[in-house]
Amino acid sequence: MTKDSKPELAARRAFLVKLAGAASCAGAAVGAATLGLTPAVSAKTAPAADGGSFPTKDYDWTKHQWGFGVDATKCIGCLRCVEACKRENDVPANAHQFRTWVERYVHLEGEDQVRIDSQQDPVNIAASGSEKTFRFANRYKDAKVYKAFFVPKLCNHCTHPACVQVCPVGATYKSEDGVVLIDHDYCIGCRYCVQACPYGARYFDEERGVSDKCTWCYHRITKGLQPACVEVCPVGARIFGDQKDKESPISLFIRNNRVQVLRPESGNAPNVFYVGIDKEVN
Amino acid sequence: MPKHIVRLILLIVAVLALAAIAAPLLTVDSFYRYGHYRADSVAQIAAQEPVYQTPRYCYGCHTERRAQWSAGNHKSVTCEVCHGPARGHPQSGRLYIPTDTVKLCTQCHEAMPGRPRTQPQIEVAAHSGGQQCAICHNPHTPKISAAAAKVSGDAAAGEQSAAACAGCHGDDGNSPNDTWPSLAGQNAAYLARILAAYQSGDQTDPVMTPLAKALSDADIQNLASYYAGLSCKPTAGGKPVGDVAAGKALAKNCAACHGETGVGANPAWPILAAQKPGYLVNVLKAFKAGLRKDPMMAGVSRGLSESDIANLAAYYAAQSCPSTK
Repeated sequence: MTKDSKPELAARRAFLVKLAGAASCAGAAVGAATLGLTPAVSAKTAPAADGGSFPTKDYDWTKHQWGFGVDATKCIGCLRCVEACKRENDVPANAHQFRTWVERYVHLEGEDQVRIDSQQDPVNIAASGSEKTFRFANRYKDAKVYKAFFVPKLCNHCTHPACVQVCPVGATYKSEDGVVLIDHDYCIGCRYCVQACPYGARYFDEERGVSDKCTWCYHRITKGLQPACVEVCPVGARIFGDQKDKESPISLFIRNNRVQVLRPESGNAPNVFYVGIDKEVN
Repeated sequence: MPKHIVRLILLIVAVLALAAIAAPLLTVDSFYRYGHYRADSVAQIAAQEPVYQTPRYCYGCHTERRAQWSAGNHKSVTCEVCHGPARGHPQSGRLYIPTDTVKLCTQCHEAMPGRPRTQPQIEVAAHSGGQQCAICHNPHTPKISAAAAKVSGDAAAGEQSAAACAGCHGDDGNSPNDTWPSLAGQNAAYLARILAAYQSGDQTDPVMTPLAKALSDADIQNLASYYAGLSCKPTAGGKPVGDVAAGKALAKNCAACHGETGVGANPAWPILAAQKPGYLVNVLKAFKAGLRKDPMMAGVSRGLSESDIANLAAYYAAQSCPSTK
């Protein structure tokens, strides 16, 4: 039999060759993952590759375990933290993408439901006069307010982060010092993590095509500075520190207050500890 | 073993071998070093430069602000809260100076449900009628200090002591000389504050320092009351030291404290209208050079050129005296 006489056989042969090629490629990928994972386990306990500290020469991430506190009884809703965060971290200057935000909870007399707004509410944007600056409109000035308070929010840097679990490419991870970070070079922009976060802490940056969120200003805390939002808070409503240091601001905050975390039932085990919030806050 | 099984095993071995070769080629070095992620990305994130620099950074140059700010009620409000991030400021020389202090201050101090009771809060309309906060409050130490308190001296007794001052400041408090300031009609609280500053050494002058040191606290109050009660005379004609129109444009930046025509609302700060132009030039130069110390004036005079100073002096000198209080 020749190729000329049986054209359908030639077509089948060509198909099988292609199939074999595709199969070996897929096998290689699976094999790579299997083989690659083996050294990872052993490397976990090994010291940093360059012998010194990691990730920078002045900062060893095995010596820290960061934590964040929010004292909602002190927050005045001035939103300096929100503006500082945007500038510090190059967050798009608009009214719908935030790494940190502040919510206002208002109970009016005679109402069962709490009213909640944040700085991105259109009424508040109108009061600030632009989408680049933020302020709370005094919209409840003349209302009969039974109870009201402000609550700053940010990424909880969970001990068991759902966002990390769902990432298909290892672009988001939990660092050794307790910070959930995003590798923007590896992020493929699938937004699973944005969906997975029970706190709505992540946003998608359409321009760069990647997910983004609070890093506790990792570039600052690794240089001995406070996160920008903590730095500018005029009333000390935001507390940051090293949980391994028993005298750090966050350790004292946790020890001296009855703290709670948001949505404990989600099993994420957040590392942002709140004081002075109601049951409606989650 | 059947031939097709052998082929299958060979194929699997080949695939695994290929995988072993491909794995290191397809995975970046730092992936899996600490876990299922690229360790290099941690270092990349940590390498970003901070934008907000902390007050310690600002003090590197602005030492004069530290004592004033850290003693006041705004000590928990760091420089960058109002002035914006400091990165790039020393190089560009530019810094955000908030001009709309009503908007700035009410961001924290507007009475609003939800703010803790401990936070000082105001309703702007009732508190100030909507005028700029900086007219009465120094944002760096917002509490209105004793300096602005009413001066309760005896003008008649002040007139006796003033005999020693008349040589330079004029019999009626209007200086005969371009270099020395007229005192007639000046704010009493300002006069008392400056005399006290000469006395304590916060401000020095070869002539004024020894004179002020000889005064008692009561003398200062009496003198301040006496001069505040005299009537100011417009500066005599003669060649203006600068361009009045240009000075007027510049003076907009001073209006928050000194008023549009050099008559401010806060008694702790001087009236500039109809002041001697030569004196105004000297004082601004002294602030600029750091010889006269005032955190607010040091900042605003730093950006003024020689001709700016002359124009400003000409403008204020040409303004008419405040109407008698």
